[in-house]
Amino acid sequence: MTPEAQFILFGLNGLVWGLIIALIALGLSLVFGLIEIINIAHGDLFMLGAVLAWYMIQWTGNFWVALAAAPLAVGLLGMLIERGVLRPIEHKPIITILATFGLSLIFQQSVLATFGGAPQRIEEPIGGLIPLVGTFYPVYRVFVAGCALVALAGLWLLLYKTRYGMWMRAVRQDREMAVALGIASDQVYMLTFGLGAALAALGGVLAAPVTSLEFQMGLDVLPTAFIVVIIGGLGSLQGTLVAAVLLGVLEGLANVFVTPTTARIFSLLFMAVVLLVRPQGIFGKRP
Amino acid sequence: MSPRLRQAPLVLVATLAALFLAPAVVLPYYRIVLAEILVWGLFGMAFDLLFGYTGMLSFGQALFFGAGAYGAAYAVFKLGAGLWGALAVAVVVATVFAVAVGFFAVRVSGHYFLVLTITFSVVIFLVLESGHWRWITGGYSGRPFPAPPITLGPLSLPLTNSLAGYYFVVAAVAGAYALCYLLLASGLGWVFLSIRENEPRARLLGYNVEGYKLLAFSISGFFAGLSGALYALTSQYTNLSFFHWTISTNAVVWTVIGGTGTLLGPFLGSGLFIAGGDFLSAQVPNFPIAIGVLLLVFVLFAPEGLLGLLRRLARRPTAPV
Repeated sequence: MTPEAQFILFGLNGLVWGLIIALIALGLSLVFGLIEIINIAHGDLFMLGAVLAWYMIQWTGNFWVALAAAPLAVGLLGMLIERGVLRPIEHKPIITILATFGLSLIFQQSVLATFGGAPQRIEEPIGGLIPLVGTFYPVYRVFVAGCALVALAGLWLLLYKTRYGMWMRAVRQDREMAVALGIASDQVYMLTFGLGAALAALGGVLAAPVTSLEFQMGLDVLPTAFIVVIIGGLGSLQGTLVAAVLLGVLEGLANVFVTPTTARIFSLLFMAVVLLVRPQGIFGKRP
Repeated sequence: MSPRLRQAPLVLVATLAALFLAPAVVLPYYRIVLAEILVWGLFGMAFDLLFGYTGMLSFGQALFFGAGAYGAAYAVFKLGAGLWGALAVAVVVATVFAVAVGFFAVRVSGHYFLVLTITFSVVIFLVLESGHWRWITGGYSGRPFPAPPITLGPLSLPLTNSLAGYYFVVAAVAGAYALCYLLLASGLGWVFLSIRENEPRARLLGYNVEGYKLLAFSISGFFAGLSGALYALTSQYTNLSFFHWTISTNAVVWTVIGGTGTLLGPFLGSGLFIAGGDFLSAQVPNFPIAIGVLLLVFVLFAPEGLLGLLRRLARRPTAPV
């Protein structure tokens, strides 16, 4: 393989991973921007998406059913969590962090009890390779990138072109005023939390065939998603997307020169530096 | 003295007396559980100093626990240090770590601080895991090592699985608690509280806020390192997972469950969770689920923590701060 081809392949891998991280981080960012809840269980919602997909494929033998149904199921679970657990304590940020930590324990251990501790794999639903600069690239990864982009476009349409999106942005801007204008902010909160959970689960289903599934797979994703949200600027959805893709591509390209772990270390250190010199994030406004 | 610091001396004396008499009543196995509760409670107390008093929510405390544990192990293993030497090396290593991380971390606050401490945690964990530091860490699974005896003048007592070891842990943790209490009562506690309550105002009054935050972070790292060293020395093993950020979350949980800003609360929290886990693991195959449920029940129905709950039940007015 020529060095250029290697560069492109690793860069593409990074881009695909960055887009998956973007889905997860956008879910986190949506929830944080609206309710200021740091959701420790968000990584586990990603894990639940992947594990539910595995079960659904076992039952139906069909990846596409899982791709549609798993995010929906986790989205509903997210709405239940918001309504049942978080709403009574939404004014106490630290307490909500703890509640989500409790949920995280419950999810991980329930999966450990039913799914088992051994890592599992899902077959890539689309085989085949695309010829690319003298080498080949898996079609499924291109599909993942496309799927993530469609989901992101859908999110943008939802937020900026629908009535519900307008309500969401209104509640985000000024809850009391929104309520005074007749917006049912409780429903908006519940739907937003569900949407955030569904996005994380969608990331989980898409990532499932290119990674291995186990009950703690959310633990590594969570800090990355946090970092991306902060770097992008709290509450800035575009910033979150840019930071996720940047992190993914940087890490992918660094893989050409160093081991994956070292690449990870460098990208995290880069993020730490950004955090220190520009704490409001790349796109955030100064607080 | 800060209102939060005024703790019933009777409770303290009774607790100490109970801890000293416990070995006469309970099986040796529960002695080990008690020592573990104390060591992890100390880890929680270090976090409470940082979060409960100074308002800094850190998810990076595991770094200093790990640094203390590995510092002690390294001192015993490579430097041939005795117990006191190992403890000294451990707290120095942990404090140096804390000063280095804190130097950067105190520059940001709120959610940024939380994320930065997680980032440092993950970076240092990955660096250690990557294997370049195998000569110190002995790889992922760490290394077992022989615990040095407790030497007191002419006396030399075994540290592990012994009555002497238990009393050593009780004395060390009680000493650390007293030191932390005195530090906070010295007026430093007031400065920390003022930063927690209103950072700009503390700054306007002329306090070097970053300096005091770094001090709180370093003291907290010192105590976390001490707990790590005690854990490594009494269990005779170290593991890279000590550095993982999920260890830090334990301190957060125990502190909030026990009572934030109380110093004693974290001990209550670690006691409830470790004793509860010990009991449940014998009854229920997946006991961490029960811990998760317990945590949810607590945050929904007693968010002020166990100590707060006790106060409420005793119908005593709570302190204004």
